[in-house]
Amino acid sequence: MSAITVLRPGAPALAPRGFAWRAFGNEAGKGLRLMWRHRAVTITSIVLNGFLYLMIQFFIGGGHLVLPVLALTLPGLFALAVASTAALQGSGGIAEEVNGGTLEQAHLSPARPSLLVLGRLAALAVEGLIPATVLAVAFGLGYGPHWVIRPDALVPLILTITDALGYALLMTALTLRVASIGAVVHVFNMTVMFFGGMFIPIILFPHGLEIFARFIPTALGVEVLNTALAGHGLGAAWADGTLPWLLVHVVALAGLGWITYLCTVRRARREGGLSPR
Amino acid sequence: MTALTIPAPRRTVPAMARFLTALGNEIRKGLLFAWSERLQIAMELPFFALFILLLGPMLGAGHQIAAGHLNWTLNSDRISLIVVALVPAMFFYFQAVKLFWRLLAEIQAGTIEQVYLSPLPSWLVAAAGRLAAAVIETLILMAVAYGVTSAFVTLHFHWTFAALVPMTFLIITGIGYSLIIAGMTLLWKRIQLLNDTLLMLVMVFAVTALPLITVPGWFTGISRVLPVTADVASLYGVMLGRRGITGLWGTGGLLWVAVTAAAYLAAGIIVFRVLERITRARGTLGAY
Repeated sequence: MSAITVLRPGAPALAPRGFAWRAFGNEAGKGLRLMWRHRAVTITSIVLNGFLYLMIQFFIGGGHLVLPVLALTLPGLFALAVASTAALQGSGGIAEEVNGGTLEQAHLSPARPSLLVLGRLAALAVEGLIPATVLAVAFGLGYGPHWVIRPDALVPLILTITDALGYALLMTALTLRVASIGAVVHVFNMTVMFFGGMFIPIILFPHGLEIFARFIPTALGVEVLNTALAGHGLGAAWADGTLPWLLVHVVALAGLGWITYLCTVRRARREGGLSPR
Repeated sequence: MTALTIPAPRRTVPAMARFLTALGNEIRKGLLFAWSERLQIAMELPFFALFILLLGPMLGAGHQIAAGHLNWTLNSDRISLIVVALVPAMFFYFQAVKLFWRLLAEIQAGTIEQVYLSPLPSWLVAAAGRLAAAVIETLILMAVAYGVTSAFVTLHFHWTFAALVPMTFLIITGIGYSLIIAGMTLLWKRIQLLNDTLLMLVMVFAVTALPLITVPGWFTGISRVLPVTADVASLYGVMLGRRGITGLWGTGGLLWVAVTAAAYLAAGIIVFRVLERITRARGTLGAY
């Protein structure tokens, strides 16, 4: 008689040391390798995005660029570049894996889905931050906006990036549930572009729209970033309520993205949605 | 000895009937795709009317913005101009974006190779099925956007059948552009960022066809060769300028509109065929 010991499902498996880091690194490395393979497309997109921003500001300026408006909207361009790149690449990437059947293979790994998603997010963060940084530095050096750059600006900057990644994760998660979400991600990105502070600062919208805009990913972050870059410090952003609301927004959006992703993956595993149906 | 008798086909289906059946199937598939996306279409609806309404006061308001205030009064003439530019541009945008994502899904799922079992030319399969769906879908979107916009501001348009001429050329141009994107999708797959940015540029340049702001000569030069500008200029002439469409010359002239459409369609078919051939030669039609 032989006895086979079957591990209770869900029991924590004894993983070799460093396994979590390796799983995380593999997932992040996969995203980065794909980005490197498509570097020509990424570079072209950065150039075209910069041109697009200038065109929009050219129209808003009535035929010329108004430098104070550039200073107010450049943080919006930075945030949009992170959010739109990460959302499009996240949504496109997971659709590619579902249709190619490789997402199912990734989930055969003993690594927890939360670990895999962290690796995916790290790659998306790099993919989003590269164009955003290039554009912000290029326009920042080119036009020399009158910003007061102090360490406290890092707080809204990091919160804005986190907010953008929460949005990207939500879009990535929805790709597993909603058929052909790709085209809708474009529309959401247009909304972030329009209401997120890249056209005009959201404080200038009519009151009702300003409240609506504050729900849009990265909009509050850009508002607080503008306050910090204007030299008013985080105290002013805290006093006018934008910084506390930004914290709430980041926690809510990142949490929503995280929970939605894990729930949709769990459901897809149960219903066979990790591969094409 | 065994004699194997192979029965002759009872009747041969005429080539034209096969062609039409295949075309009909592709159109039906495109419409089924659109129907499966009805929830997303409903989500998209409110955004466009808002874009149109808010763009009006923003354009040319740089110095007001720098001073920290913006007058949000809706100007009927200006909003009418923006509708003429953005409705065709959005139609174009959706045709290209939806074709890209549907094609990408077929590549990823491996069904793209079945295209070559069809009696239709592959470029026609890529374009035809999506066209009917894109036209219906965008017409609904744009009708709602128009309805919502006109609830806020009176739009002054001269409705005439002549407007169908630039719209038809716009559809043809859109097919050509979509085929270029489709060819690039076959070869490079991950081009969503590039596609998105290119389409946004096309939309922005479409506004230059209208007398909204003064733009430099080089700007006009670039915008003339972009796909939507000539059609928007022609629509402006018909629906706001009451000029008719018989004028031949200039950016919105019939000749330039027709040449743009023909050039984009020809370029689309050629680019699609060339990039498709490269992809097939590499054996990467359905592979990543």
